[in-house]
Amino acid sequence: MATVALQAAAAAAHARGRSAAWRRDLIGYAFLAPWLIGFLCFSLGPVLASLYLSFTRFDLLRPAQWVGADNYVRMFTADPRFWQALKVTFSYMAMEVPLKLAFALAVAVALDKAVRAGALYRALFYVPSLLGGSVAIAVLWRQIFEGNGTINQVLLWLFGYKGPSWISTPDTAIYTLVLLAVWQFGSPMIIFLAGLRQVPQDLYEAASMDGAGAWRQFRKITLPMLAPVIFFNMVLQIIEGFKAFTPAYVISGGTGGPIDSTLFYTLYLYQEAFSYFRMGYASALAWVLLIIIGIFTGISFLTSKYWVYYEDDPR
Amino acid sequence: MSTIITRRQLIASAGAAAAVGWGPSSFAQAGTKLRCFWWGNPDRDKRTRALLDAYAKKTGMSIAAESLGWGDYWTKLGTQVAGGNAPDLIQMDYRYLFEYARRDTLLPLDALLPLPDFSANDRNGGKVDGKLYGVNLGTNSKAMVYDVDMLAKAGAKTPLDMAWTWDDFGRIAGEISKMNPGKYWGASDNSRWEQGFEQWLNQRGKSLYTPDGKAGFTNDDVAGWFALWDKFRKAGAIPPADVGATNNGKIEEYEVTRGLAAMSFVNSNQVVAFQGLNKNKLAIHPFPRDKGGSSGHYIKPSQMMSVSARSKAPEEAAKLVNFMVTDPEGVKFLGIERGVPCSAAARALLAPEVDALGKMQIDYVAALGKIAIALPPPPPKGAGEVENLLKRVADSVAFGKASVKDGAAQFHDEAVSILARA
Repeated sequence: MATVALQAAAAAAHARGRSAAWRRDLIGYAFLAPWLIGFLCFSLGPVLASLYLSFTRFDLLRPAQWVGADNYVRMFTADPRFWQALKVTFSYMAMEVPLKLAFALAVAVALDKAVRAGALYRALFYVPSLLGGSVAIAVLWRQIFEGNGTINQVLLWLFGYKGPSWISTPDTAIYTLVLLAVWQFGSPMIIFLAGLRQVPQDLYEAASMDGAGAWRQFRKITLPMLAPVIFFNMVLQIIEGFKAFTPAYVISGGTGGPIDSTLFYTLYLYQEAFSYFRMGYASALAWVLLIIIGIFTGISFLTSKYWVYYEDDPR
Repeated sequence: MSTIITRRQLIASAGAAAAVGWGPSSFAQAGTKLRCFWWGNPDRDKRTRALLDAYAKKTGMSIAAESLGWGDYWTKLGTQVAGGNAPDLIQMDYRYLFEYARRDTLLPLDALLPLPDFSANDRNGGKVDGKLYGVNLGTNSKAMVYDVDMLAKAGAKTPLDMAWTWDDFGRIAGEISKMNPGKYWGASDNSRWEQGFEQWLNQRGKSLYTPDGKAGFTNDDVAGWFALWDKFRKAGAIPPADVGATNNGKIEEYEVTRGLAAMSFVNSNQVVAFQGLNKNKLAIHPFPRDKGGSSGHYIKPSQMMSVSARSKAPEEAAKLVNFMVTDPEGVKFLGIERGVPCSAAARALLAPEVDALGKMQIDYVAALGKIAIALPPPPPKGAGEVENLLKRVADSVAFGKASVKDGAAQFHDEAVSILARA
């Protein structure tokens, strides 16, 4: 009898504890709710809807028609512009990601050493990143690189060389976009700077005592110690690179021209969706992009153990 | 987006409504909210906003006005219509009228707007399957806009001959290019402009699209068109490819506006906007043609006004359209910027006070009216994509990345497959 009472009391206490825990969770969820509801309604919902739409033919004005895997089949077998968009995006990233990281790192190292007015320079170098995505800068870029733009005026004045319109020549247009992206090196630079502050100074002191020069110190100390930060920046830049849109949109007036030489993947997706109202096909393009980004991020993580060194990693 | 109604007007109209005891009819008008959406340019926006402002003041309605450039306009309109959020008044183009009307997104206006002093032709341009969906805001035709003094300096006799030929064009353009080599050319490269290609087909008795929405041209037609411009390019009459490859049809992107060429091919009503951005005196002239051939010009609705099928106040919306095209007050606001008004009364009203540009347009459309061919069939779905395809392929030819023959085959085949898919 006593055991039964004891058991009942224990069970009640347990239930009380459970309800207390549940109430605590509920409060947590309540605080989370604004974000969670927003996420479910405005992110996850549309994402899942686009998965469904990617198997349909949908022009916004009439209801979506189920077409099975047609959109995906067409993309890989009968759409040269899809491959052109991939080619443009990949060649853009192959140049932009390493250049931007190298540039950001170089400036970060220089700023790290700078004693006077360091904060001012940090702020100044960050400004392009704040302006970067804006329409105004893309317009400015157009003026700089067009036929009688700033660059050609300087070239003419210095070397008497009359340059083409860099921005509207199919062979050079993409480079102007790479330059625009590299110029916005602010955010990786700030992250590099933070990383550099974490490198123990005694390593440098010991190295210079042993007679290692600045370059050698950079290669043997800075780079390895910074590897996790480089890795982090790289993954971020790869994802951002795939998503690049505004500069190409503004510079080519939304066409990806001349002759599709700046047809970024996102721009092609946008054209299919909002110029030609093929929402189904555009959704399929979006899902393929998601998978590509996933693969690249996955590869980065898988290979990272061979080149990223974590200080607290007992290896 | 701005709502064209001041607080004072709102209070005044509310007061007026109160004074008549909130009578249902006055309430219906004073409380009505309309949205009007158009593609435009600064001059057109100013005129349209002034008109809407005046109409709002007159009726006590509130009218929200919004305008965008041509490209962005169709994107936004498509999204709004799909979202069930279409504006009440929709500026419409012949290119899109059939698509929107056949999907039941526009309101048939026959009963609401009889338009007695429109000619049958002007009414028919806005009809789909026998019903009126678009009210013609003004007529135009394609035209060559040119810098009068530059042509004179190059020794061309102006005004040019009505029946001037492509050879004349090439010769004059070549002379102009010689005056300032490498910096200023005779004309823009027109090979990438779909409407130019269309007119060239019209000159040959063909059309860009057949009535059943197929391609109305052959491989050889495209090759002929590319070869024509290739010849001008090689002769230096038009600029090299990189000068024009960023032109996406905005007036500020044309060589005439950028001070790089003396002649560009446009639509006649656009001369107002072109002159607005140009210090030199501009004029318009028909397209050059083959010797003894047709001009290929047709008169078309430059822009139309449609009413959304989902408008909550269709009658009020139709009244506003009527104000734009027939009311003396409304007609004066819009002037001739959207083309020559269809209403004979409106033309008579504007005639004494039009400026030189307005008169130029009226005369131009009147002169072409005598030789114009019939309005071609409406462009089918996918026409917008074909328009961009031409830019791409013509650029390939201009940059020397494809031969005239290969470019022609590519354009023809891809256009056919786009039309089949749409």
